[in-house]
Amino acid sequence: MSTELPQHQVETSQQRHIRHQGMEASGVLDTVEKGFGGNPEAMQYFYDLFRDVYCEGIKPHPDKEMIGTMCVQIPDEIIHAAGGIPVRLCNGFYTDEEVGGDFMPAKSCSLVKASLGMLKSETNPYSDGIKSIINPTTCDQKKKAAGMMREMGYQVYDMELPPVKESEEGREYWRRSVRKFTHEVGKLTGKKVTRKNLKATIKQVGQAQLTYHRLNELRKNTPIPILGKDIFMVTNAYFFDDLTRWTAATEKLCTEIEARVAEGYNAAGRRSPRIVFTGSPPVFPNLKIPLMIEQADGVIVADETCSSNRLLNDMVSVDEWFMYDMVDAIADRYLKSCTCPIFTMNDDRIRRLIELVRTFKADGVIYQAFSGCSVYEMEQRSVAKAMEKEGIPMLYIETDYSPSGTGQLSTRIEAFMESLKVRGRQK
Amino acid sequence: MKIKAAIDHMDLRRFRFWFQLSAFLLLVYGGRLAINLGTSLPTFSCGYNKSGTAGVCYLLPLQHQLAQPWERLFSPAGVMVLSGLGIFLLWFVALNKAWCGFICPLGTIQDWITALRKKMGIRYSTYTDEQFKKLSLIKYVFLLILIFVPLAIGGQFLSHDWGTPFCQLCPARMIIPLFNGDFSQWVIDFSSTGRMVLTALGMFITGLFLIGSFLKKRFFCFFCPMGAFHYIFSKLSIFKLKKEGDKCTVCGDCYRVCDMQIKPIADDVVSKDILMDDCILCLKCVASCPEQGALRVDILGKTVFESTKGGFVKRMGLEAKK
Ligand code: SF4
Ligand code: SF4
Repeated sequence: MSTELPQHQVETSQQRHIRHQGMEASGVLDTVEKGFGGNPEAMQYFYDLFRDVYCEGIKPHPDKEMIGTMCVQIPDEIIHAAGGIPVRLCNGFYTDEEVGGDFMPAKSCSLVKASLGMLKSETNPYSDGIKSIINPTTCDQKKKAAGMMREMGYQVYDMELPPVKESEEGREYWRRSVRKFTHEVGKLTGKKVTRKNLKATIKQVGQAQLTYHRLNELRKNTPIPILGKDIFMVTNAYFFDDLTRWTAATEKLCTEIEARVAEGYNAAGRRSPRIVFTGSPPVFPNLKIPLMIEQADGVIVADETCSSNRLLNDMVSVDEWFMYDMVDAIADRYLKSCTCPIFTMNDDRIRRLIELVRTFKADGVIYQAFSGCSVYEMEQRSVAKAMEKEGIPMLYIETDYSPSGTGQLSTRIEAFMESLKVRGRQK
Repeated sequence: MKIKAAIDHMDLRRFRFWFQLSAFLLLVYGGRLAINLGTSLPTFSCGYNKSGTAGVCYLLPLQHQLAQPWERLFSPAGVMVLSGLGIFLLWFVALNKAWCGFICPLGTIQDWITALRKKMGIRYSTYTDEQFKKLSLIKYVFLLILIFVPLAIGGQFLSHDWGTPFCQLCPARMIIPLFNGDFSQWVIDFSSTGRMVLTALGMFITGLFLIGSFLKKRFFCFFCPMGAFHYIFSKLSIFKLKKEGDKCTVCGDCYRVCDMQIKPIADDVVSKDILMDDCILCLKCVASCPEQGALRVDILGKTVFESTKGGFVKRMGLEAKK
């Protein structure tokens, strides 16, 4: 998968795609790595990881059975226990979005289009080689994407998620889905999920989560010891990295950041407004809005998105270490606390945002919605209203993956940052 | 501070096991050492366990007292009912429903049966929402029976054969004396219709108890009138189960492990006082909550045990290998 062209040959469309993808990735990586200064040393692992995978075409799991997952609700613990490697296929490439545009109506979500485009063009090293995809019935676009993925020749497993999470009926429905999945996933990987394996992987994933919690906790400090763009790189790496390696690298980062906290290191500016990020998920390389925020002297101190915090926040609690209880416990973890907007109610997300603003001492909230991501667009109103009631300034941004129109966006973000600073002075 | 952290990180399972065992030995055998804690205990320390009991469950004297002729009950002599209640309340106020989760011998026996089921790797059963709502009313029916049947006896509407009706139905009467080798309660009393109906039903309920608590954690506690009686006074207690809704992510971890299937423990993010009528204050919920300070136990307004990430990690065995 070389990006260099033999001179006498005409570039195939696939080669062109790969070249464009590499350019897109390295452009963003350059900004993340060189655009800010003061990178923690331990971040190098993550920068290199992304460069290897997206620019050098190195496969992260060359000879393992990868299982693609489409949303945050697919239980990693179970896939690991079946000997598979869960790889989250939500994609952030504009290059892929253009290919995926053929499948979806024009006004649909960039993320879904990009994911379809990636699967179609088979150029993404981290998804290359995937045969099976687990697709939960979350938003309409993901649901309908399943059919198109099937058409492309993937084996798609529809994992049924209820639209209501508060009721016992919904809970039982989801538990059944998860129990069935536990049984079926073994057929995809060729290895049965056993009590012993599952117990081990619950603990393994739990430890990864704890390491993330440790890192996240450090962001409560003033001054802020680490920028949000780095956190997104860490959590995005969780999409596809080896679990043990990821945990070890993140642990190293924690130690370094703890030392920074001890010496009062400030990763941001003197008066940088502290931001809580929410809405449609930033997925590498679409870190457009997070980067703009931090380029405009803001700093993201916490987030409420499914590509980052929600991925690792809530933990499994088991009462009896047998299959029956472990599987149900896993099911509960992925349903009950999930703040995905596809559910009928969004009170939990609002409560969570308010709590994040409070505990991370944030000055404001930035809400990103991909145009065409109707669920996040629809929830905007209720979230804005709740924030207003709490006296929390919020900026709502509708955006997509296209590189055009960034000037206007950054002006709005800069203005918001200024207003937060003024507000901070008046306090 | 150190002590607080040690408590927050404790292995609740083990602590409860030893605490319950000690309480069991004390209440079931303490009488042999001439220990006497009186007759107003807010827990099923069964008075029929004559050779061993160290104190008597308040429901027994209560039913006796209420069955006095009305002219006595509603005269100044009736004050003795109130004095019994007073002592009951003193005991109760100190520990609230933790009497159920930590002391009640019948509760402990159910936990032992659960441990046996677990050993065998058999799945526990649960009620559906609908079943839960209906079944959890039964304890109030028992409570009404144990108050109004004795009153009806005192008013001469019913014969004394119907005396201490709840005790005749209660599985503790048959089961707890067994621990002292006393099988005398395992009979159906044919001396009168009332006795026969009650003791036959009692036998049936005991059978249900044994099967039920094997299949379902704390099976009998849903039906326990003592629990219902507690709930009337629980607001008075100095021992409180509190929730900080803002810190809760509604992950449901607490609800999952709750033997009593109390859903509001996870879903209610508004109430500060989160003690529900079915709660047995076993504190499993606090121990299994991963969010710092979302659930806690206060005694006299001082927090003695609260949910912490560190405690959660320890109890789940997630500590990183050093
Ligand atoms: S709510 Fe908590 S203390 Fe009460 S019974 Fe359930 S787990 Fe035990
Ligand atoms: S375990 Fe804690 S955070 Fe989870 S639902 Fe219960 S109280 Fe809330």
